[in-house]
Amino acid sequence: MFKSILNKGRRLAGIGSVAAALVVAAPAMAQDKEPIVFGGSIPLSGVFAFAGVHLHAGLTDYTTWINSEGGINGHPVKYVMEDTGYEVDRSVAAFKKITGSNTVPVYYGDSTGFMKTIASELNSRGTTLMSGASFATALTNNEQYPYQFIPGPNYSQMFGIILEYIATQGKEGDMPTVAFVYSDTEFGKDPVENGKAKAAEMGIEVVEEIVTKPGSVDVSAEILKLRRVRPDFVIFHGYVLSPINEFMVQMRQMGLDTQFMGTFWSSDKLIINKMGEDADGYMGVMPYNYYDSAESGPVLDALRATAEKSDPEAGYRPTGYMQGWFNAMVWTEVVKRTMDAGKELTAENMAESLASIENWDTGGIIGVPVTVQDMSFPVGRIWRVNAKEARYEPVSDWIHLD
Amino acid sequence: MDWLFFGEISLAGLAMGGLYALIGLGFVIIYKATRVINFAIGEIMMFAAYLFLAFAGGMEMSPWVALPLAVLGGSLLGGVIEKVMIRPMLGESSISVVMVTIGIASILVGVVEMIWGADPQLLPGFLPRKPVFIGEMYLAPKIAYGFLIGAAVLTIYLLYFRFSRGGVALRATASDQAAAYSMGINVRRVFNLAWVFGSLAASLAGVLVAATGGLSPQFGAIGLSVLVVVIVGGLDSIVGALIAGVFIGWLETVAGAYLGGEYRMPATFAVLAVILIFRPYGLFGTHEIERV
Repeated sequence: MFKSILNKGRRLAGIGSVAAALVVAAPAMAQDKEPIVFGGSIPLSGVFAFAGVHLHAGLTDYTTWINSEGGINGHPVKYVMEDTGYEVDRSVAAFKKITGSNTVPVYYGDSTGFMKTIASELNSRGTTLMSGASFATALTNNEQYPYQFIPGPNYSQMFGIILEYIATQGKEGDMPTVAFVYSDTEFGKDPVENGKAKAAEMGIEVVEEIVTKPGSVDVSAEILKLRRVRPDFVIFHGYVLSPINEFMVQMRQMGLDTQFMGTFWSSDKLIINKMGEDADGYMGVMPYNYYDSAESGPVLDALRATAEKSDPEAGYRPTGYMQGWFNAMVWTEVVKRTMDAGKELTAENMAESLASIENWDTGGIIGVPVTVQDMSFPVGRIWRVNAKEARYEPVSDWIHLD
Repeated sequence: MDWLFFGEISLAGLAMGGLYALIGLGFVIIYKATRVINFAIGEIMMFAAYLFLAFAGGMEMSPWVALPLAVLGGSLLGGVIEKVMIRPMLGESSISVVMVTIGIASILVGVVEMIWGADPQLLPGFLPRKPVFIGEMYLAPKIAYGFLIGAAVLTIYLLYFRFSRGGVALRATASDQAAAYSMGINVRRVFNLAWVFGSLAASLAGVLVAATGGLSPQFGAIGLSVLVVVIVGGLDSIVGALIAGVFIGWLETVAGAYLGGEYRMPATFAVLAVILIFRPYGLFGTHEIERV
């Protein structure tokens, strides 16, 4: 326990010093070319810090790795970030500060709120392409947010992938029934209307919709409602851990054989670590291979090696780490394509380069070649918790939405 | 109307309301004796729940040993806060003292993030998992047993305040500090005692609520939502906190079940608004009349 506290303290102290320094400089490299700056408003503290520290680690490790590979067309990469506490005003301030003192072609936004707030400035500047922690459906509206993209499927597409899977699980020709359980937040409500429309289109009946406060809440009453409609599947969205555990445990105590599924931020190993045996059978949609999956590929192997080298004691790297790495990987691809085309690194040119991505091999990060559609990567796979092995295992093929 | 469903929902709400009452008691005891609204009560709850996690999870103690240790730890924290940070503020304006409690809340969140990290946590299970049926009505076991533990502690509190010397001293100080002082009551000690007992109630509620809904550094926000309970019941009324706690718990749950989860808070705040219009000092609060 004491050792664990010390270790966490040391890690936090390390993160703090990085945040204080503001800049994670690229290692000394032989290249003479101007560095390409990856900027970031990163939530190292505040309510999203549990993911922010891993996003940051993924971005940092990717920077180390790409520099060891020679950078982008010989340009070293410099990752410049600032802690935001997951507060929009601080994220905006960080953006202004970092872009004020650097030329920043690509930037990591820590929340949907920040990315929406900064959109008009991003559009008028025309210098920076942005992605980040958000998978918000709204950000794939190209007219309003032409210079922002989603590093995976948006939340509506995640619901689409889950519903595609559920549609294959019917018995004797009957479509399974589903219930949506989501938090009373912008994040939680994001995919619900599109999810209902998609379910109706597929002939899947949504038998109940439950809205809860996010996080630590009592959900006994909501569970009693689900007991009456007995859905075959419950899809959670807008949570990280609680109250998913309470729904699963209490509904199983009631003898229901409902299956439980969640979207990206509800599908990390945290669920297995905290729920133990109770997590068995929980399923999540994930656009990336898990760090500890049996899958491999040149970039996935490099990711594991870099992660192991940067913090040998860390062990498993959460999905936030994979997300941070993948963001930076897409930036690299976009910057490289724009440079190769002999174009300036403007937001418009980079957005064009992004849109040109077709059947892109991500080196094992995503298990199939991916194509960008409407500034997102509408691909994912359903993974199921094997509690005994303490890991997620794939139960579907990769599903690429058209 | 499905009366069985209504009965089950009501039971769940009343049981949760019992825990709200326990948190409300933490507010009221401190306010009654010291006239300080403790905005750090939620964070004291959170700290005690993390102590439980450390004892029962990290140190693998029996949960039944960890529970009293965590609750004692939380109450000790309350006593230390009073002595080190609140007592020097005696005589200062009430807004300054409130700001100190808000500062304490931030410090506690920071300390917890430093020690346990920012990840959400689940407490080791220590309440029975067998479903509870009252007649045909189902009640979640964690809520049922949490309510029973909370009710037992509430009863002990009420008996203590009614019959013990400490309880009489606390009531006397709450009633008239100067008179209590002149009668030889150690008012400073009573202040400290109030923080210890208030924090003890909140700490127990913290562990029980966290056992139901999970724990994170943001867990303390629940303390603020229970502020509605004590304003409805009356900031200086123990009976008010108990009745309003149970009522608000019931109302919130019934509103959530029949209108949707997004109506839980509006329903309770609507009640708060009505109460503030007709009884600004709460249902059972003291109506102070100052004559010039």
